[in-house]
Amino acid sequence: MNWILARLRQRRINRELAEEIESHIAERVDDLMDSGMDEVEARAQARRDFGNATLYLESSREVWSSKWFEELGQDLRYGIRTLRRTPVFTAVVILSLALGIGANTAIFSLMNAVMWRTLPVRDPQQLWVLHLPQGTSSQGFLFHYSAMGNEYFFPYRLYLEMRDRNQVAELAAYSGVRLNVSVEGSLEPTADGLRVSGNYFSLLGIKPVAGRMIAAEDDVVPNSHPVAVISYDYWKNRFGLDTSTVGRTIWLSGTPFEIIGVSPPEFQGVEVGISPDIYVPLSMQPAVTPVVTSGVEGTGVDRPWLQIVARLKPDIDPQDAAASLQAFYTPDQGLPGITDRRVMLSPASAGVTGLRQQFSETLFILMAVVAIVLLIACANIASLLLARATARRPEIAMRLALGAGRWRLVRQLLVECTLLAIAGGAFGCLLAQLATRSMVAYMSAGRSALILDLHFSVRVLLFTAAVSILTGLLFGIAPALRATHIDLTPALKNRTETSGGRSSLRAGKVLAVAQIALSLLLLAGAGLFVRSLVNLNRQDEGFNRDKVLIVRVEPKLSNQRNERGVPARLDRIYTDLLQRIRAIPEVQSASLANVSPTKPESGASAGSLQARSGERVAVSAQVVYPKYFETMGIPVFDGRDFNDQDLTESSMRVCVVNETFAKLAFPGEDPMGRPCVGRDSTRFGVIVGLVKDSRYTSLNGPTPPVIYQPFLQANTLRGQMILHVRMNDEGKPDFIATRIREEVWKTDKEVPQFEVRSLAQEVNAVLVQQRMIATLSTLFGVLALLLACVGIYGVFAFAAIQRTGEMAIRVALGARRIQVAWVTLREALLLVGIGIAIGVTTILVSGYAASGRVSKLLFGLEVTDLQTIAVATLLLALVAALAAYLPARRASRVDPIAALRHE
Amino acid sequence: MMILQTLRRAPLHGYALAQFIKRASEDLLQIEEGSLYPALQRMLKSGWVGAEWGISARNRKIRTYKITPAGRKQLDRHVSSFERMLDGIAKVMKVIES
Repeated sequence: MNWILARLRQRRINRELAEEIESHIAERVDDLMDSGMDEVEARAQARRDFGNATLYLESSREVWSSKWFEELGQDLRYGIRTLRRTPVFTAVVILSLALGIGANTAIFSLMNAVMWRTLPVRDPQQLWVLHLPQGTSSQGFLFHYSAMGNEYFFPYRLYLEMRDRNQVAELAAYSGVRLNVSVEGSLEPTADGLRVSGNYFSLLGIKPVAGRMIAAEDDVVPNSHPVAVISYDYWKNRFGLDTSTVGRTIWLSGTPFEIIGVSPPEFQGVEVGISPDIYVPLSMQPAVTPVVTSGVEGTGVDRPWLQIVARLKPDIDPQDAAASLQAFYTPDQGLPGITDRRVMLSPASAGVTGLRQQFSETLFILMAVVAIVLLIACANIASLLLARATARRPEIAMRLALGAGRWRLVRQLLVECTLLAIAGGAFGCLLAQLATRSMVAYMSAGRSALILDLHFSVRVLLFTAAVSILTGLLFGIAPALRATHIDLTPALKNRTETSGGRSSLRAGKVLAVAQIALSLLLLAGAGLFVRSLVNLNRQDEGFNRDKVLIVRVEPKLSNQRNERGVPARLDRIYTDLLQRIRAIPEVQSASLANVSPTKPESGASAGSLQARSGERVAVSAQVVYPKYFETMGIPVFDGRDFNDQDLTESSMRVCVVNETFAKLAFPGEDPMGRPCVGRDSTRFGVIVGLVKDSRYTSLNGPTPPVIYQPFLQANTLRGQMILHVRMNDEGKPDFIATRIREEVWKTDKEVPQFEVRSLAQEVNAVLVQQRMIATLSTLFGVLALLLACVGIYGVFAFAAIQRTGEMAIRVALGARRIQVAWVTLREALLLVGIGIAIGVTTILVSGYAASGRVSKLLFGLEVTDLQTIAVATLLLALVAALAAYLPARRASRVDPIAALRHE
Repeated sequence: MMILQTLRRAPLHGYALAQFIKRASEDLLQIEEGSLYPALQRMLKSGWVGAEWGISARNRKIRTYKITPAGRKQLDRHVSSFERMLDGIAKVMKVIES
């Protein structure tokens, strides 16, 4: 922009100066003619008096222009012309740069979105999030819908006390929830809801785009203000931006709510990765989640379910604020397990997120990986440029001979590189857009969609621009210096002269070695991650995940099972549901359990076992219906599964245990028929079955001892049950999922529905990081390998051309083709060898250095796993040898007569 | 300095300025008229003179230059340092003569 303005100004100045000088001369001519000179003479005299008009014009003009700038313009135009003359070269370079820069931009913009993006709220730097690190809350709480850990959740009563009585900050609370939505009687897809305190929007400074936001008066008396704010996206997707939406009624979990406003498009809540569709007041919690104990009245006020965001008053130190909020904890708060914990404030200007912990390691590693890919691309382009510089020797020699300054030439070559880099960067941005979207889809696999604000921010654009220009200089500077360092006479005299070519070859070889070493690093890394993933997948999780669909169901009162009559009512609903589901033709078996691989928390600890070693091991008690083991594909080793006779309240109490339990509780003995009694003499009944171990929460931890109990005999459990359905071979997941939804709906219209997912998806969700890093590092590893091979090929193809004469002489003197090929190949293999040696050393060194970071993501492998390194080395050696062989073969096919005659 | 001094008397356009300096120096200073323009441009850039487009007596488009306050200050500085220098030279010359 500035540049255009400057050019326009320059043009005007030039025009004005020319006019002025012309009028000067004309005046002089007139004066002279007045004094009696004839016109021709007067004109000549005037010009003589004036002196060299062009020179003066130039030097007057130079006063204004920076010469540097003007020359830069010339360089740019010349650069574009030159690059257009060699379209293949230009395309190859731009493509490899676009891949390199695109990958960097993609990972960077993900990192930006997850870690640094500032929330679009008023004064985000004043925002802090409250949490209680140290230990975990011993209280299980019901399906909070958030990626955050337990330490971020606070009870309602505590929130009110802190909000009203603290002197240091304004506090707003919120809590995510999955909402059942219906509009005008028709069932809608479930929506992400957020229950917010009355001051939530005002604290954040969010203004509505239509209607009004939830205000303090909406959040005073429980269940009194059924109002909802919808997000801009929901407004757009569900209501087509219809302005009459505000004022309409929307049914949330069976209660009518009035839509009072729309939140602005850029606001997606304060939690990164989750974008609420519908906001309701905290006080409406009992209405939107009828199945859960009210969190705003009665005993529920001490249940932690709220996340709290604080806006500190100016000049308050966060540490002081935390200390003053700590004062609100007293042991008589009725909060077992949290009295010993300390309130902490963490900055929330970039949003609150569990993703940061979950993905930061992965993203940092990927960032390093893509940086290396870009380095390889740079090395590649640098060697291409070196070759090109040799081809351009006559041109450059000619320009030097004509008096061009060396620095001017270097600059011109660098301008060319920067042009390439910028073009690469621009395409890279496009690629990155596509790439980030698919990566986010990947990251959200197996859970509710991850919604990240991925619009290019200034930070990302600056990053890309800086990377592009840096790469341009990086790959450009050495070739430019070398290209202009020419001994003129031979270069001008003889176009095929090779002096100087040798040294540029040497530089090319150094680059090739570097590329090989770097690619090896990436390949070995990719190998590690892939093998780690394979280890995880191959690991026997103890259940058969194919063909199993799961859906969470939660009828009313399911958290109040300890109350009289409730379990029986729930049991009727569950039994009815199971019958309906089992009646679907494609369903092979179906059952309910309170656990799933990604939803372990309801499997409350049921006590502990004294292991033989004397150590106490926590036992997990899980509540299931008959046929659970069959549905999950868990083999029953001994005894039997539960059956319908176990389902009555009066039947004998029975339980099934897993292998680990049997091994720990009854080492070396037969567990069948033994009674099971918990620590606090809770009775689990007689063991009637022994099943294989299966893994739930984490696929890489030890299996805990498990007791399975039938639903009605369970001691204390609340929360949702998870329906597990095994399809037979004809079952189509989508179709069955729809049928399951319908049946659940028929059973009880009030049952909140969650998505139907396959067990494989659930397992994948647990492994999402490992899968992402394995897939991407493989992708980048292969990309690096390809780039490196192109580099090796390029260097040796070029070397072969340079040595055509030599080869021709060898052939003419009777060397056999294979010997000729070997000359080239030997050299190439030597380079590959050196590259591999350097690469392996780097891997070992950096492996030890970075093991802390990387080993967390590896399962069953060391960072310096020799087998992986060996395989990567072998692969690289093979591919590199192939890349070197092709030019060698071509060199050996030289026709001596043609080649020598050319010489 | 000569240009600024001249312009201090009255605003002038390029040609008039050249003629004035030529006449005032009684043709002792053999300067090409064109050399005026780079100098004027430099002064324009430094803000010592301002310029305005106008029409000459012969009905030609001309640019009239006018000294600015900054230009005056600059001139004073120059003149005084120049005078000091002349003074110095004169004294040295006198010492040698005597």
